[in-house]
Amino acid sequence: MPALNKLYQQYKDQVAFYVVYIEEAHPTDGWQMPNNIKDHVLVASPHTLEDRNEAAHACVVKLGIHIPALVDDMQDSAERAYTGWPDRLYVIDRSGRVAYKSKAGPFGFHPDEMAQALAKLVPPANPVKQTH
Amino acid sequence: MRKTLVYAVPVVVVYGILVGGLFAAMLQPPAKFGRIMSRLPSVTFFLFPFEPMWLMARKGNLKVGDMAPDLALKTADRSAEVSLSSFRGRQPVALVFGSHT
Repeated sequence: MPALNKLYQQYKDQVAFYVVYIEEAHPTDGWQMPNNIKDHVLVASPHTLEDRNEAAHACVVKLGIHIPALVDDMQDSAERAYTGWPDRLYVIDRSGRVAYKSKAGPFGFHPDEMAQALAKLVPPANPVKQTH
Repeated sequence: MRKTLVYAVPVVVVYGILVGGLFAAMLQPPAKFGRIMSRLPSVTFFLFPFEPMWLMARKGNLKVGDMAPDLALKTADRSAEVSLSSFRGRQPVALVFGSHT
């Protein structure tokens, strides 16, 4: 998440950045992960849109996400249209075409690839200063 | 030789069936796949080529260069509805799909 927050800070003036909160990957009532139990990351699947909104809000706060968040509907329209679950990155160019699509997460979730895709589309507004 | 085959063939066949079954599970909607995985032992990850199977099963239909499907979703604070198509011709969009867990 720090890498994505950094990208957001770098590009937010030129790129519409959004987190799309989708179905939980490892909820307590589904495929729970030992690591999440150890870290007390215990989240039940939201079953109403209201629950999902709350879960999205809690997720953004707990994970320290600075990027504005959108919430998928209860038909999982966004997840299905973009094959987003459990996590995935996209960049869409100015004409509305897919410029970058990561492979399916967690294996294919690489913010550095997204950074390269963004760099091709936009010159960075706040270029990182050379330190030497 | 023949004795080895007697054991090897069923093992290969059973393994093939299990790989096919796991792949079929990966093609299910996420919640259903999660329910199936929650019942399987964690050794499943090591016994099968989980990562390449997952990347293939979750490839999706969208390709680079395709028009991005429109989404109209509310923000988490319910303050606004955002439509992806509203950025067309104006600025690029970066999307991070994910959840808490």
